[in-house]
Amino acid sequence: MTNLLGRMLELRWVVLPPIVGVAMMAMIIGALVAAPREIIEGEVQRLMYIHVPSAIATYMAFFITFVASIMVLWKRDMRWDPIARGSAQVGVLFCGLVLLTGAIWGKPIWGVFWTWDARLTTTLILFLIYTAYLLARAVSDSMDEQAARYAAVIGVIGFLDVPLIQMSVRWWRTLHPQPIIFTSKPALPDEMLIVLLLGFAGILSLVLWLISLSAETERMHQRLAGLRAGVDRREGA
Amino acid sequence: MRLAWVVMEKDLRLAWRHRTGWLSALAFAAISVLIYSFAFDLAARDVRPLLPGVLWTTFLFAGVFAAGTSFQHEADEGTFDAVLMSPVAPTAVFLGKAASNLIALLVVECSVLLLATILFDTTLVTPELLAIVLIGTIGYVSLTTLLSIMGSRVRSRAALLPVLSMPLLIPLLIGAVRATGAALGIEAGTAPWMMLLSVFALWSTLISALLFPIAVER
Repeated sequence: MTNLLGRMLELRWVVLPPIVGVAMMAMIIGALVAAPREIIEGEVQRLMYIHVPSAIATYMAFFITFVASIMVLWKRDMRWDPIARGSAQVGVLFCGLVLLTGAIWGKPIWGVFWTWDARLTTTLILFLIYTAYLLARAVSDSMDEQAARYAAVIGVIGFLDVPLIQMSVRWWRTLHPQPIIFTSKPALPDEMLIVLLLGFAGILSLVLWLISLSAETERMHQRLAGLRAGVDRREGA
Repeated sequence: MRLAWVVMEKDLRLAWRHRTGWLSALAFAAISVLIYSFAFDLAARDVRPLLPGVLWTTFLFAGVFAAGTSFQHEADEGTFDAVLMSPVAPTAVFLGKAASNLIALLVVECSVLLLATILFDTTLVTPELLAIVLIGTIGYVSLTTLLSIMGSRVRSRAALLPVLSMPLLIPLLIGAVRATGAALGIEAGTAPWMMLLSVFALWSTLISALLFPIAVER
């Protein structure tokens, strides 16, 4: 069972890159060429095909960090630490992308780059929490198991803080466009919906691939530090 | 519970003997209230709309500042392992630490309230306001105490602790500022904000008491 799972995980290096390539190309062509021009918002609306999937991808990445952090604390297994760090890195990257595309869209549509709307504020706070997580992990030794556990504590608290953040900022007026595709009857025209779904496929597979890459990098980094420490010890002896 | 009491007593006694840490937190809080008065020119206008924000930013920064030192003694002397090896449950160690931090912070905060009462001629020492300060402080002291153990492991802890804890404490800050505003009669209805504060205090205490033993276990 574990063996089968391991072999399936190995396949990610073979399977993910072509999927990412094709889906991203399809999304770009779809968003720029195929999708119709929005009547009221104009060309800037095309940002939605990146913005919405990136937001979902951010939550997915932070959820992976949360689960991996729990495993670090619970199973005391350092193999989960690179996964937690890797997906936090990718999550912060896409969270920044969400904030950036939102600001570019907000200027022509709302008249301002930024507003203290509940959803925007929550996203910003998430960005700050996970930046702090990365900072805490970056200033400590990557081999240090105790530091990994402390960072995992932040990974857990940060995710569990989300409902409270949402509860506290929802009291403010909400400007953000309400979700229109997760309702039972999508209000989006078919062509746009197809491009958006392509966007989801592209961004989510890209995020999975990036998380795999950065977790693998972190893992190798950890191994290298371990080998170095071993060499130092041998030379010292 | 009795063991937590012992830890708390020990920490309070240490805090009393090494007064510099707590006195600097108190001085820091007093200075920041004065700085706010100059920065926002609080002498010349109605201060009440600004007061909740001034008070709570002061409390939070002073709290984070003070919590940063709560494991410093153990880290410097290398006695943290000894504390963990003693026949005391880690949860009790944590609760004792958090309680001693709480008491010391409440002293600092009450002094700030007195100072602000004198400076701004607004009655701030009311039962309602004291309840808000108590619940709010319980809410943040457990989280900052938990996070301050990270300080015993990493370099540059002085900058790290505020960066780590402030984003997590934003719900508490919003709730506390609004509840204080309502208590001062700026806006109506403390109830929802008091609920938010209480939920946050409960959440942070529970989660910190749960995670602390797992995090420090060797």
